[in-house]
Amino acid sequence: MSGMDPTEVFRQEASELFEVLEGALLDLGQRPDDRELVDSAFRALHTIKGSGAMFGFDKVASFTHEFETAFDRVRKGEIRPTQELISVALAAKDYIRALIEDPQSTDDIIGEAILDDLKRFVSADQPAAPVVEIAEAPALAPAESKQAGWHLHLEFESHILRNGSNPLDLLEDLCKLGPCFVVPITDGIPFLDEMDPEDCYLKWDVKLHAACDKDAIDDVFMFVQDEMKLTLSPLEHSEAPAPAPLFQLLDEELAPAAEMPAPVVEAAAAPVAEQPVAEQPVAKQPVAKAEPKSESKPEPKSEAKRDDRGIATVRVQAERLDELMDRVGELVIAQARLTQLASSGSDLSIKMIAEEIERLASSLRDTTMGARMVPIGSLFGRFRRLVHDLSRDLSKPVEFVTSGEDTELDKTMIECLADPLVHLIRNAIDHGIEDTATRTANGKTEQGRIELAAVHSGAQVLVTVKDNGGGLNTARIRAKAEEQGLIAAGAVLTDHEIHQFLFHPGFSTAQTISALSGRGVGMDVVKRTIENMRGTIDLSTRPGQGTTVTLRLPLTLAIIEGLLIRVGEGRYIIPLSAVEECIELTAEDERSRGRNFLNVRGNLVPFLRLREIMTASGAPDRHQKTIIISTGETHVGLVADQIIGNHQTVIKSLSKLHSDVTIFSGATILGDGTAALILDVAQLVALAQSKVEKQHISEAA
Amino acid sequence: MALNPTEPKWSLRLPADCSIAAIRNVYELIREAFGRQERLEIDCSSVDKADVTSIQLLLSTAKTGEAQGRPVVLTSFSQSLRNTLRRAGFASEAMIDQHFPQKKDGT
Repeated sequence: MSGMDPTEVFRQEASELFEVLEGALLDLGQRPDDRELVDSAFRALHTIKGSGAMFGFDKVASFTHEFETAFDRVRKGEIRPTQELISVALAAKDYIRALIEDPQSTDDIIGEAILDDLKRFVSADQPAAPVVEIAEAPALAPAESKQAGWHLHLEFESHILRNGSNPLDLLEDLCKLGPCFVVPITDGIPFLDEMDPEDCYLKWDVKLHAACDKDAIDDVFMFVQDEMKLTLSPLEHSEAPAPAPLFQLLDEELAPAAEMPAPVVEAAAAPVAEQPVAEQPVAKQPVAKAEPKSESKPEPKSEAKRDDRGIATVRVQAERLDELMDRVGELVIAQARLTQLASSGSDLSIKMIAEEIERLASSLRDTTMGARMVPIGSLFGRFRRLVHDLSRDLSKPVEFVTSGEDTELDKTMIECLADPLVHLIRNAIDHGIEDTATRTANGKTEQGRIELAAVHSGAQVLVTVKDNGGGLNTARIRAKAEEQGLIAAGAVLTDHEIHQFLFHPGFSTAQTISALSGRGVGMDVVKRTIENMRGTIDLSTRPGQGTTVTLRLPLTLAIIEGLLIRVGEGRYIIPLSAVEECIELTAEDERSRGRNFLNVRGNLVPFLRLREIMTASGAPDRHQKTIIISTGETHVGLVADQIIGNHQTVIKSLSKLHSDVTIFSGATILGDGTAALILDVAQLVALAQSKVEKQHISEAA
Repeated sequence: MALNPTEPKWSLRLPADCSIAAIRNVYELIREAFGRQERLEIDCSSVDKADVTSIQLLLSTAKTGEAQGRPVVLTSFSQSLRNTLRRAGFASEAMIDQHFPQKKDGT
């Protein structure tokens, strides 16, 4: 925790809690009777409130408190969580988030309006009170109602204050149940030197003079019951009748010392007075005789929850992981050098060690990469809200289905994916899904459906966004492309080729633009983002049945499989994922100098001579090799002197000084310590294409 | 918060925020003052935010002072601190007195 701004820690924690809260609220919309969901929403709220107060977000705490109070009736099962109520609750959640993340941007008025809404919903059906589960409160009471109250002994775990729980609030809540007699027990307080000021040392004995039932007391402690020892025993009538409620919270006037009844001083006097004191209230004397029903609540019940926590996670700063990855990269490089050294010598034992280290390094690399992996579900969760809101705003009922939430992807990739996916999903709802009338007319279900799925496929992850809407209007896209002069009128193009125009910058089928999205607008940005992640994007559509967008993404950004080649003296890496095949440059192809086209099984493929691009010195090898690379549909050949082989490439990004270098995407260090540049496939393909075009022009001239 | 070296007995004024968010600093402050002075006077008049940790710290200070035979005097409890004490069950002056034997109201 040291070195980190605690407020920042709170923000991070809160943002996770918001996800939990949002997820629970949205689920609640579908399964209004699921108590577990209500509880988890409530827990999240409560923690936000507690930590908010602890970190000085007083507004957050007070607003959340109100929210919680309003929502309490839902929790008690007194009102059902309707869609409207959930929408308001989501708005309230957004407001709290704004309060935390950017307090300046919000206004109290908004908060008040939301609270009014909430209260309206919550109290609207008060008279009717369609009680779902009332079994709770009064039912249990009669049997125990003879007793005059409860005797409680509270002991909290030492870390409880750090969680933002405040025992004083709990005591206050207890006092709401009836007249309370609170006695702090101070003998647990250590000397200064032994003290951790954030630990909780105080314990309390409470006599609650109210014939409330045990559940009511449990309710007060429901959020901390795992972290405390609560001993409950009933008080009998015979016991001293409720002393005048000494402890009245709002009472400003302190009770004069003289009126203090003796027991208090006695009970609290642990450090000074005689010993039995601390024990007396606990259970021993009158209470125990009366009805030894004292139960030690927390242990059994908390067991299950502990188990959940057993799968412990550690929050690590992202930079540290990156740093670790860097170090592992260095290690892999050093290991490669060692292997090379060992293989050139004849010392067997060194060879064995080199192999051992190679094995360790590669498993270390895998583990480290694994540590950076995050299940994509964390990302999917965010879109449920998006779909919920859009579907409401556009009044298109949409069912949102996700699958493959467990699929893991590199953390940085997940972050990069958020924006493109938002865009794709918006498109799908706004333009993919037809309005209800059209759907009914076409004999489809009224409710549209959007599927977001992620699956592993080899070293790639496929993320698909699929809607069951109307599909792409190929004719319109074509018309637009012709209008914009992207294709000649009447040119023969496959549907697939036509759809590619959607990714063209500034391309949009104008009539369809709405406030939310216009299919085409921004698709170029999506495509670029995906390509920057070394991924690809693909569209497929079936008229009347829907559109599927498929994103293919590499598992990680840090290490790639590369093909090591040599051009003149220099060595370069081509990402293996882009390599289609390697062929020899035949004498015939050589002769076609100037035209730079290869004949690959009947297809003409333009090629680039890397020697020319890199201005390599020295004589070229006699047998030049061609590596066919591709981005999507375009194939380009690269002519090199030699293909050396596979290479596990740890990518080092180029420094800012080299930011204008386009044909290289990064660099890596080879086994012998020399550097090799990594070719940027997309750029090379573009380069080849522009050359082809130039040739066309010069030939035409 | 400031130590006033001109007075024979040193007075430590607690900062406004003595809640858990700031308690570690307050703790260090008190420990430091403890290490320095024979007679320690802690002025609680500006305490504006207090919680369980504040109470515990003061209790521990009083206890430690007593055990070491060094006078620790707590003066001028602020209203906020009083409220917190009362919420924690230190319901009366008598109880507060008893836990903080050397309290002086200073008023």
